[in-house]
Amino acid sequence: MRKRSVVLFTLLLAFWLVISAEADLQHIAMGAILALVAVWFWQDLGPRLPHVLSARELLLLGHCLVSLAWFVIQSNIAVAKSLLFSSPPVGPVFVVMRPPIESHWGRVLLATCITITPGTVTVDIDPETGQFIVHALTEETAAGLFDWQIIHEISNLESWRQRRAGHAVASSGSYGVDSLGTLAGDHRSDSY
Amino acid sequence: MIRWIANICFIGSFLAFGLGTLGLFRFPDPYTRMHGVGMGDTLGVGLAGLGLFLLSPSWALRIKLVVILFLFWAINPTMSHLVAKAGLIHGVQPLKGTRLIKG
Repeated sequence: MRKRSVVLFTLLLAFWLVISAEADLQHIAMGAILALVAVWFWQDLGPRLPHVLSARELLLLGHCLVSLAWFVIQSNIAVAKSLLFSSPPVGPVFVVMRPPIESHWGRVLLATCITITPGTVTVDIDPETGQFIVHALTEETAAGLFDWQIIHEISNLESWRQRRAGHAVASSGSYGVDSLGTLAGDHRSDSY
Repeated sequence: MIRWIANICFIGSFLAFGLGTLGLFRFPDPYTRMHGVGMGDTLGVGLAGLGLFLLSPSWALRIKLVVILFLFWAINPTMSHLVAKAGLIHGVQPLKGTRLIKG
């Protein structure tokens, strides 16, 4: 807990100094006071934050972000195509899905990845069941969500962290072929 | 050469923002319009940031730009999510014929 607070304080102070115009005593003191207040104010949030990342986890996260950047570019092109060349330009879909991600940080990361990709927006997450409600611009985009590579990558990262923390990895935490088939094949379609 | 690449980035950014604005008019309901605006918020801002990064005279400015970009990409999806959730809670109706797929 204390280590986490120190890391958070250091990150906040570093962010303050990077954004500040100068790095004199006044700026450093003000940044340190504000970082302390922020760490104190958000101390209840601590248990929900992931532990400090190891080198391997940083690599996995970096790979996830690089993949995400590629998906964002692809999605931008897809949205632009449907905007310019399709008539009507949309066939919107609400998707209700339950990706096999158990941690708060993993769900937040996935929700952010989904929303930052044009064509999909996370509307809601049920914290109890981990059920996501996602709005997708087209049915094709919606279908791609069930087997999205980013879900695998976040799930991998989560499993790695669980192994590192010494917990047994529940079989439901991995994205097996069976669960993929269930998610992708057994969906029901209704009209909103 | 770098100036040329930066200019191409700015043109790409302009196109992304332009298409996003066009999406505001072409897409039929608030939920779908958010997808159009997302183009400017991701690729548009990214390309503008890359262009400015290439033209920056110092590394201090470049690091600031990168931090601002990451901050923007962290805040933007959070706000989009809030707008969508608020719309759903307050009964903003999606486009008629919007389908529901349960996985």
